[in-house]
Order: sequence, then C-alpha cells, then structure tokens
Amino acid sequence: MPASEVEGSRLMPVHHMRPGDHAFVSYGDGESRSQIMATYAWLGVARGEKVTIYADPRLDEREMRHTVHARGPSMAPALGRGQVEFSTMRALLSPDREFTVRRQQSRLAEETERALHQGYTGFRAFIDMAWVADLNADVAVVIHRETHADHLFADGHYSEICAYDQRWFARDVLDQMAEAHPCRLLDRLGLLSITAAEDTLLVVGEADVSGRARFTGGVRAALARTDRSALLTIDLSRLHFLSLGCATDLLALAAVGGPRLSVACSPLVARTLRRLGSDALPQLALIEVSRQC
Amino acid sequence: MLADFRRPSHGEADGRLLDRHFTARDLPLLRVLVEERAAWAGLPEARRGDFVLAVDEIATNAIEHAGGRGHLVLRRVGGELECTISDNGPGFSEEVIPDVLPGLDGAHTGRGLWLTRLVSDRLAVRAGSFGAVVTLAMRVR
Repeated sequence: MPASEVEGSRLMPVHHMRPGDHAFVSYGDGESRSQIMATYAWLGVARGEKVTIYADPRLDEREMRHTVHARGPSMAPALGRGQVEFSTMRALLSPDREFTVRRQQSRLAEETERALHQGYTGFRAFIDMAWVADLNADVAVVIHRETHADHLFADGHYSEICAYDQRWFARDVLDQMAEAHPCRLLDRLGLLSITAAEDTLLVVGEADVSGRARFTGGVRAALARTDRSALLTIDLSRLHFLSLGCATDLLALAAVGGPRLSVACSPLVARTLRRLGSDALPQLALIEVSRQC
Repeated sequence: MLADFRRPSHGEADGRLLDRHFTARDLPLLRVLVEERAAWAGLPEARRGDFVLAVDEIATNAIEHAGGRGHLVLRRVGGELECTISDNGPGFSEEVIPDVLPGLDGAHTGRGLWLTRLVSDRLAVRAGSFGAVVTLAMRVR
C-alpha cells in the first residue's frame, strides 16, 4: 500500500509547513496554540515570508507579541520591520462587517500580492478560528470555504494554518474541518504519530527520548507481522526529528534479520543512519525524499 | 530550505543566546530554540541539523542518567557556536565515548555519544560542582 494511502498520511508537524500548504490544527489550551503559532511564524521569517497572525480578538496583542518575540533573536527585528504582524479577521474584512467566502478570499489574495510586492517570498497566515464566533459566521459556510480554497494556494505563494479551539467547536465540526483541509498538523511540538498498514509504517512528528519506546515498539511490531519475503516500508518522510537513540534502535532491529526494509526519510535522517552504519545492512535501503503534503 | 541568517552587530554582549533548565518534556521546544539561534548565529544549514541532533543527545543523556533534568547554555564564542549542558548526576568522563562505532549487537551503548563527537568540532566532558558538564561546539564559518 503506498504511503499516500495510509490513514494519517495528511498528518505532519508544523515544521514541515511549506508555501502552498493549507493546514488544520486544533488546540486544547493556549500553550499548544502558542507553540504552533510561534514556530510557524519563526519558520516563515526564516524563509523570508510575510507572516500575519489573525488572532482571537479576545487576546491581548502584547502577550502574543511577547510569545513570538521570545521565540528567538530573529523575531524582534521581524516584528519591528512589520514582517510579522497581528490582526483580526474583522480587520481583514473591513469595511465589510460580515464574512463572505468571496470577500475573505479576495482579501487574502490581496495580502499575498502585497507581500510579494514588498519583496517577501510569500505570505503565510495563522488564523485563529475564534473569528467564527466573533463574526457570528455560519459554520456550514466556513466548511464550504475550507473545501473551496485551492486557488489561493495554487501558485505556492500563500500558506495558511486554521487553528480551531477544541473547547469551543463541537467534535463533529472539528472532524469535518480536519477532513476539509489538505493537511492536518500535530497539535503540539514533540508529538509522535505511528500508523501501521499492511506493508507500511508511517511515522510522523518527532521521535525523541519521550517517544522512543513507542517508536521502537512500532517498528518491532511491524517487522514481526511482515512476511520475511516481503518488503516493509518505513515512511519517515514526515518525521521532523529522529533522535540518535531511535535511529540506533531502528538499525538494531533491522540487523536482526527479517523482511527487507525500505526507509523513506529526509536527507538529514539518511545521513544520520548512514553514519550509524546502515550501509552495512544489505536488507535495508534508504530512500531520500523531500517532504510532500 | 531555511535561509541562513546573518548575526547582527548588536548581538548579546557575552555571546549568550539561550539559557534554560530542561526536563524531557521541554526537549521539543528546546530543539526549536536551539535551531533558531544556530541559524541566527550563522551556522550553515547543512550543519544545523547535526548540531541540534548532538545537543539533543547530550540533553537526553542528562535526562536518562542524571536525574531527569539539566541546564543548557548556548553561546556564540569567537567563531564557534558552543553549547554547554550541565547536570546533577554521577558524572562521566570522555573515556566512555568509544573510539570506533560500537556494533549493533548487545546493548550498543555509546553510539550516540560517538556520533555526537563525530559531528562536533569540539567536545569536552568535565566534572562540574555536582555532576557532568559537557561542552560541544561547531565552527560557525
């Protein structure tokens, strides 16, 4: 089964957001929202993009600026020169007072054009969906918007995270919204998702000391249920971080024998596995891949 | 690919870029903060991933063998990006780091520290007031 057909294949960590991506994330508290928002903003600054955070209008902008500022020394000048800005959906739509799909999408397209005209490489938006309540928008219309926005992203200059508060939106709405987006983000830094299919193990997120037992257990179980004559694909292409401990466990399990292994991974992970001796394992093949959504 | 930042002329006076106590749950954020500052300090992207990997390995070592916590200080010193991690554990010496990559059979211990030394331009282990102090550094340019 191709990795693209494995359940969860649209899942990725925020670090993998690229120009042209349209992603859903849900948050259960302000801390997880801040982690995703600040990391997304920093990565946008690092890529030379204009970043606008359409925030929950109930929040204090000074606190959000502090959160972004604290992410690192590159953020203060970015805030100072306006590369990172804070706004609200109400302000984006102004002078209109009501949300319409056409108005919102045309304004986001204008903001993208403006960013490019200002010399940025693109425009990325973090949209806290608290605006739905603020503007008393129809949830059904919002779902329609999320499933009919491909043209905004087609040229690869615009990216967007839509952040939904789990405490406000109903479970079934969150499920529909998650399904409506091409990409779905892990909702905190450091999470590890492992999805097993017949001949593929999809590993997403970060495999560090906290997730090492799950990572190793997942690989071990996949090897055990795969016929020795078959090929097991371990898809690490959406893994942002593989610790040296997890990398060693993967190689040690491969060295025991069993099915042939194909490991799809980033160039950094491939280099790490080679340094740790993967070339000495004839049953293991590394496939370097760029991140795909 | 991330752009390489250029360090501004008004950087931290003592070169200190990050100063944090950490436990296991802090590591994901710590990695982001270290990567951001490594980019800011001018560490080329090709080496940034290795630097974060090495920092994570030393921090993990403190978590697993020195009471579950540690203290990280990241500095730009001269032409180097230097990370110092101290802990309150029993301490260890550089001699535990194997000279050659250990095999995959048995406990395969020491592979992480071996690779950390391989990718670092400088790695030193010394005794601190209570535990170990590990310093790893990479040349920025």
